[in-house]
Formats: sequence, C-alpha cells, structure tokens
Amino acid sequence: MGHIIEAAALRRAFGGHPAVDGLDLEVAAGEVFGLLGPNGAGKTTTIRMLATLLPPGSGTARVCGFDVVRAAGEVRRRIGYVMQNVSPMGYYLLTGREKAEIEASLYHVPRRQVKARVAEALDLVGLAAHADRLVQEYSGGMQKRLDLACGLLHRPELLILDEPTLGLDVQSRHRVWDHVRDLSGEGTTVLLATNYMDEADRLCDRLTIIDHGRRVAGGTPAALKDELGVTSLDEVFLRHTGRALREETV
Amino acid sequence: MWPQEVLALSRRWLLVTLRERLNLLFSVLQPAVWLVFFAGAMGGAVDSRVVGTGDYIAFAVPGVIAFTVVGNGVTAAMPLLFDKETGYLDKLLSMPIRRSSLIVSRFVFQTVMNAAQVLVILLVALALGVRPASGAAGVLVILVATGLLTLALTAAAMALACAVPSHGTFFAITGFASLPLLFMSNAFVPLSAMPGWMEAVARVNPLTHAIEAMRLLVLHGWSGGVPASLGVLVLAASLLLVLGSWQFARQTAERIA
Repeated sequence: MGHIIEAAALRRAFGGHPAVDGLDLEVAAGEVFGLLGPNGAGKTTTIRMLATLLPPGSGTARVCGFDVVRAAGEVRRRIGYVMQNVSPMGYYLLTGREKAEIEASLYHVPRRQVKARVAEALDLVGLAAHADRLVQEYSGGMQKRLDLACGLLHRPELLILDEPTLGLDVQSRHRVWDHVRDLSGEGTTVLLATNYMDEADRLCDRLTIIDHGRRVAGGTPAALKDELGVTSLDEVFLRHTGRALREETV
Repeated sequence: MWPQEVLALSRRWLLVTLRERLNLLFSVLQPAVWLVFFAGAMGGAVDSRVVGTGDYIAFAVPGVIAFTVVGNGVTAAMPLLFDKETGYLDKLLSMPIRRSSLIVSRFVFQTVMNAAQVLVILLVALALGVRPASGAAGVLVILVATGLLTLALTAAAMALACAVPSHGTFFAITGFASLPLLFMSNAFVPLSAMPGWMEAVARVNPLTHAIEAMRLLVLHGWSGGVPASLGVLVLAASLLLVLGSWQFARQTAERIA
C-alpha cells in the first residue's frame, strides 16, 4: 500500500508569523499516526491544510493520492474529519439520528443506504439507544461519539481526529480509543492530533512531534522512548519541546 | 448529488424551525400586529388624496410584506453566522458538497417560509376587508415579487454575515439599517409625499420596486408598471446575489481558525 498522506515542505504563515514552517509528513495506509505538539505548534493548521480547509502557503500535500488544492473534492470524498471544539449549538434541536442522516446525505451516501449506514455508525459508537433524543440532551461524551459516528458515515479511507477525547471522562475516552482501534483494524488510516501522551502511546503506530511548525522528533512510541532511555512519552515530549509555556497563537 | 445536498440542508432548517414553535408562532403573527394596530390606526390620520386610496390597510399590505421579508432576511443569515462562529461551517466545508448548496438551501427554505407568511398576511388583510384588485392570479405574482425580494435581501444579509467579525456586529448593522431601509421606501408613504432627497434614495431602494409591483396588484389590478417594477427587482436581486456569492467565496477560500 502507498501513502495516504504525503506532505512535503508544507508552509503556512498568518500575518508574517509562520504557523507551519516546512513540514514533511508521510503516513502509510492503515496506520494510526499521531500528530503531537504544544499548543500553537501548528497541529490544527496542518490538519486544516490536509482537510482542504486552508490552502498551503507553499509546499505540497497529497491525501489519498490527491492534491489538497487541485483535487480538493476528491480528497473531501475520502476523508472523515472530526473537529475539535465544534459547538453543537447549530444542531441542538436535531436528534442524533437526524444530524447523522443529514450529514450522510451531504457525503452523498446513496439515498436508500442512508438509514442503514446511520444506524450502523450510531450502533458502533454505542448511541443506538439514544439516536432519537435531541443533541441538546447529550452529555459531552455522547456528543463527541456522535461526531465520531458522523465522521464514519461515508466509510472514509482517512479519519482525521483533532483532540477526540478532550474533556471526556475516563469511560468515554476508553470507548473512543476502542473505536479507533476497531477502525484501524478494519483498515482505516487515522491521523490523530492530541495533547494526551497516554492516548498517543496507546493508539499510535508512529507519531511526529512538531514545535514552531517544524518536526522535532518522530518514530514509533517505543523507539522514541528507547532513544532517550525514558519510560514515558510525556518525558520524550518535554525533552523535545522544552518546559516553557506556550502562547496559543493559532 | 446537488439536489440531495440542498434537500438535506433544507431538512436541517425545517426541523430546527418546527421545533422552535414559539419562535415560529410569534414570527408568523408579527406582521398581523402591523396591519391591525399600525395600519388600522394610521388609516384615520392619513389623507386619502396623498396615498391615492381611502383604504390605508390595503395601501399598507405590500409595505408590511416587504418589512416582513427584511426581518426574515436577517433571520435567514443567522445559521451561516452561527455556523461560522461555532466551527460547524468548517465541518460542512470539509465535506464533498458544492459551496453553493449552503446558500441555495437557505434561499429555498426562506422562499417557502416567506411565501407561507405572505399568505397569512393576505388572509389577515382579507379579514380586514382587503380584496386584491388583480384577484388570485395577482396573489401568485405577489408571491413572485416576494420571492425576488427574498433573494435580494437574503443575499445581502448573507454577504454581511460573511463579512463581519462576529454576530454582535451583524446585529448592530442590521438593527440600524432595517428602519432606514423601510422608511426610505414607499412602504407606508407614497414617494410623492417625501422630501426630494428621500424620494431619490427611495427610488434606488429595491424595497420600493417590490412594493410598487405589489401595490399596483392590490389596489389597481394589472398594468405595465408591474413587469417594469419586477424587472428592476430582478436586476437588484442579481446584483446582490453576485455580491453575496463573492463574499461567500472569499469567506470559504481563506479562513483562519
């Protein structure tokens, strides 16, 4: 299998400040690949470029074999993007099932398959019993699992998860991790951006640590720890990115 | 594919609207307040030689319709405004949909909603004794005029929603602009009764042309003025659509989180 993500010398600046500054990324098909970095390191900017929401300033990125700028439509058809911090306010008054059905249609799932595909995705994340409740009644964990289900409706080749367990309780985090492992087992490639090192350690086959928009380290979690002779990924992260607090600029 | 997208998004608007029952009820009743209380009282104070008819309520019906469409235009842009702020717009833009579906679905939904509301206004007017001179066919043309005005004002509101930094600015501008837009039109006063400068402004106000067409149909029946006014309205709607699409394209091409 080839690479699902191939980014070369990717750059993007905002108002003269480089958010992503010459990043190379290669993610193989079927991998769970971690994108780690302190706040403001350029994780979300990188993801937005890969998800066709932000044109790169320079450099190239191909996702599922298609250029993110010239063939954005082909990329969009093949990715599922579970965003960080989307307020559910805009669909509070929809049920989980209605929201998923609407998004399935927007992903061009054939009309006759919409109901079955939605039921399958909601079942996968354990929301089948709550499918007909309004989203405003969902807990934070349920909302996140609904977002995850909505990212799977069109059976994407690449699932992009931006902080998928931010603010979730331990039970919900474990549920999300189980789903990610299941999906990976079925051959879906996962790009996971996270600030939780335990999450990255548990889930990722390989990961890249970025800081100031550049790659500072990368490899398998085990190799990264061995290289420095430490036992936790937290320690690896701090050695590579320092202990100074960051200002969130992006 | 395109109809599937427009239908799916319209379903979202419809479900949310139907679940906000009180919001829906009061929005539908609002124009009746204008007809019953405003036009009902003003009629006694207005010189029939100036407005050209002794039936001020009939004179005011097109104005109330136009004002309702202005208010609904502001409402129409709200989902775009809030999707932008909540981040859901980005989620939608990461999907393989045509950008235009987001806008077109809102036009489709708003046109249907406005048509329903216009029929309610005409029914209230009917109860107050107003009989459109052009009959049932005239009502259809009134709906066409409403549709064109909906297109124009929704496009303008969407363009503004794209351009502003936050919803606070949007509501400050629309709140400020709505009344001059209304008063500098022939909604409640004929152009001939205005000071010269105001009349000049009112003549380039798209509201004036929509109201002119509807007023001819309500008060006098069919005449050449109807297609002429509708023609100007088509032009205004096209210009505002171009502006709206341009703003929306700008909004969606480059966006910082």
